[in-house]
Amino acid sequence: MARFANGKAPYLRMADQPNKGTSIIMRDFIIGLTPVILFAWYKNGIAVYIDGNTDFLGLVYPLFFILAGAFSSLLMEALYFFITDKEARALKPLMKKLSLSYALIPGLILALMLPMYTPIWVLMFGTFIGNIIGKMIFGGFGHNIWNPALLGYAVIKFTFMQLINANGGYYNPSETVFLFDATAGATPLAVLSSASFNYDAIVKPFGTLWTFFVGMTPGGIGETSVLVMLFSYLWLSFRKVIKWTTPLIYVGAVFFLSWIVGAMNGDAGIWFPLYSILSGGLMYGAVFMITEPVTTPKNPLGKVYFALMLAVLTVLFRFVGNLPEGVGTSIIVMNIFALPIDKYTAIIRANRWKKPALPQILTLAAILLVIGIYSVIKAGKVYTAIILPILHLGGVI
Amino acid sequence: MIFQKTSGIHIDGRKAMSKKLPMEEYFNPEYVYIHLIKNIGPLKATVEVGSEVKIGQVIAVREGFGEMNVASSISGTVTGIKKVWHSSGKMVDALEIKNDFKNTMDPDIKPNKNIDSLTKEEYIEKMKHAGLTGLGGAGFPTYIKYITHLPIDTVIINAVECEPYLTCDFSFILQYPEKLVKGLHHFVKTASAKRGVIVYKNYNKEIKSALEKYLHKYPEISLFEVEDVYPAGWEKYIIERVTGKTYTGLPSEIGVIVNNSSTAIVFADIVEHNIPLISRPITITGEGIKQPRNFFVPIGTKVSELVEKCGGYAEGLVPTQANYIAGGPMTGRAILIDDLIVNDTLGAVIVKPVNEELHPECLGCGKCADVCPAFLTPTEIKKALDSKDLGLIKSLNANSCVQCGLCSYVCPSHVEITDAVVRAKDMLRKGAK
Repeated sequence: MARFANGKAPYLRMADQPNKGTSIIMRDFIIGLTPVILFAWYKNGIAVYIDGNTDFLGLVYPLFFILAGAFSSLLMEALYFFITDKEARALKPLMKKLSLSYALIPGLILALMLPMYTPIWVLMFGTFIGNIIGKMIFGGFGHNIWNPALLGYAVIKFTFMQLINANGGYYNPSETVFLFDATAGATPLAVLSSASFNYDAIVKPFGTLWTFFVGMTPGGIGETSVLVMLFSYLWLSFRKVIKWTTPLIYVGAVFFLSWIVGAMNGDAGIWFPLYSILSGGLMYGAVFMITEPVTTPKNPLGKVYFALMLAVLTVLFRFVGNLPEGVGTSIIVMNIFALPIDKYTAIIRANRWKKPALPQILTLAAILLVIGIYSVIKAGKVYTAIILPILHLGGVI
Repeated sequence: MIFQKTSGIHIDGRKAMSKKLPMEEYFNPEYVYIHLIKNIGPLKATVEVGSEVKIGQVIAVREGFGEMNVASSISGTVTGIKKVWHSSGKMVDALEIKNDFKNTMDPDIKPNKNIDSLTKEEYIEKMKHAGLTGLGGAGFPTYIKYITHLPIDTVIINAVECEPYLTCDFSFILQYPEKLVKGLHHFVKTASAKRGVIVYKNYNKEIKSALEKYLHKYPEISLFEVEDVYPAGWEKYIIERVTGKTYTGLPSEIGVIVNNSSTAIVFADIVEHNIPLISRPITITGEGIKQPRNFFVPIGTKVSELVEKCGGYAEGLVPTQANYIAGGPMTGRAILIDDLIVNDTLGAVIVKPVNEELHPECLGCGKCADVCPAFLTPTEIKKALDSKDLGLIKSLNANSCVQCGLCSYVCPSHVEITDAVVRAKDMLRKGAK
């Protein structure tokens, strides 16, 4: 007679097969980021060097910047473990802890969102906010409420933007040469918040919609290219790292809502919704941030609702709030609501849309409808565009 | 996605291991141990220590709900009542019977003449007398399904065997294809149903060719193929595929009864020869077994003897780093000591090494919610369990979990999520403490 190990059913786990565990998911995620990193390097380093607008240092700087983000992110978590956990003070257990907490990723994502002239110490401050405040003090990997990278980004954006602008801002050296006069150093969405809905005013200064698609527009160093993001999207969906429907629903809903807003503002044709989804890092958010598993709802229905809600808020912040950071702000806001959404949609799913889940169904639908309709009406300036002319015609005013 | 039918996912079955060799009949162990317990509750022994018993002789009965008889599986002497391991992971009393190797049969066991004129009551009486329980794993008394007053339209034989590793049903069918068809024929007659359907997995095409030659005699019986996914053997999945209907409580609500294929084969013997439920097929398999194979053995046989016949454990197997699983790998139970006895619900014993790495936290990928055949969100149920929120567990419908184990299976971080849902169900039953 022999004694055997205890265990819990099922005794067969997919993660035991080679190439299936969480580490593989994270590896695939970094592979998915690689084209974005390479593009960022090309656009801000290689292409600028070819144009003759920078020296060798400028050629390698973008790559250095991104790696600095990853390294700093690693460093922050290593420090945190070193200080808080006595067992992690030797190299080997520390490495194990870092590899199970996937410390590289927030720094990489953060660096790719930032303007090229962000000082390195600001980048490090951002990873401190993201990794320590946004992730580790919540309990580490798997427990954070906000997307760590995004939290770091928001803090940098709201505190250090003047400094970054003084340091060179969003424009890489080539863009400064070719674009600065026409646009006064603004990013496309910053232009939108001050101009009227007009192709010549919004898109023309930067080129055509094709320029936006390829990504040769000013912005965060890695977030501008929709083309590259599509490659990442296909890879991540193929490897089942992300759920392919979530970005699609989000982008589709933003397209649709922008189209209505554009139409209500008179001039806009199909270029306007296209411009809306091609600019401002929306694709970057759609592929890498709203699919981030820890801070978004877990069940499929929750993911759909989350994406719809995000789209509404993005439109609200962009066209009503006149914030250039519609995508980032909406994700930060919705991250908080991931928990209740998950709970409500789980109840709806478990009851298969039947009566016991009616309160949940009504609540979620009502919130979506009210904010959605409000955003569209408000962004469409219904009062000035439609109601006021009618009142004028009637001679009331 | 959101509105889909129950789907399921493909799992590498690893069934080839135990399919290499044909089923072996092993009818004469030296001792058998008949557990004085069935799934529905304890049994009362009707023989005393020291008395002689014959094959098929009633040695224990269950009274009250689920009343039935239990028969001896060998002939010999009752030598005592001992505590032995049961596949539920507990130690229970069992009658120890020493084999006299004479194989004397009970006088009741003889070919039955009036097979074609049996009424529903006589069929049900036979099931009770033979102690027929479902051999698929749940072990529910078969006759209780048939005493329903609802009109039954279809009797379905579940020959899917969707659990990985298991091949006992498969090889049992290949051994006795005619008995399976006959057994179903009698089930259909018992329920006065219109048709009988045998459902098998497209991975097991051999079942189709083995059964086809017997079907022409029984026009009411047809075959139905399902995909090679897990949990394709789940009652609800099969019924949804065969009839297109779904139900909330029992299948008889929509006029369907589902039985396991081995149950049907045994039922054919019960009807035609009055042989009660005394033996069952079992798979001994896993990476930790030298030569995995299937056996047809008397109930009460020691599993260690069967492992012996398989050549013992694989070389280099460290028992403390391996699981000894009673039942399938997805829904079975780890037994701590390899001293298990075959009972009526034990379809397999699997020995396989365990992976003991350090695993990361739940990353929230939601794969468990994606695969759940009952459309639950296991992560939310786990959260509700941790906060002991009974109302929430209830509205999350934890009770509709079928414990298929898929959520833990797909989890990339090795979270014991199935276990959490099972504990949530327990908490619902007992109330929070």
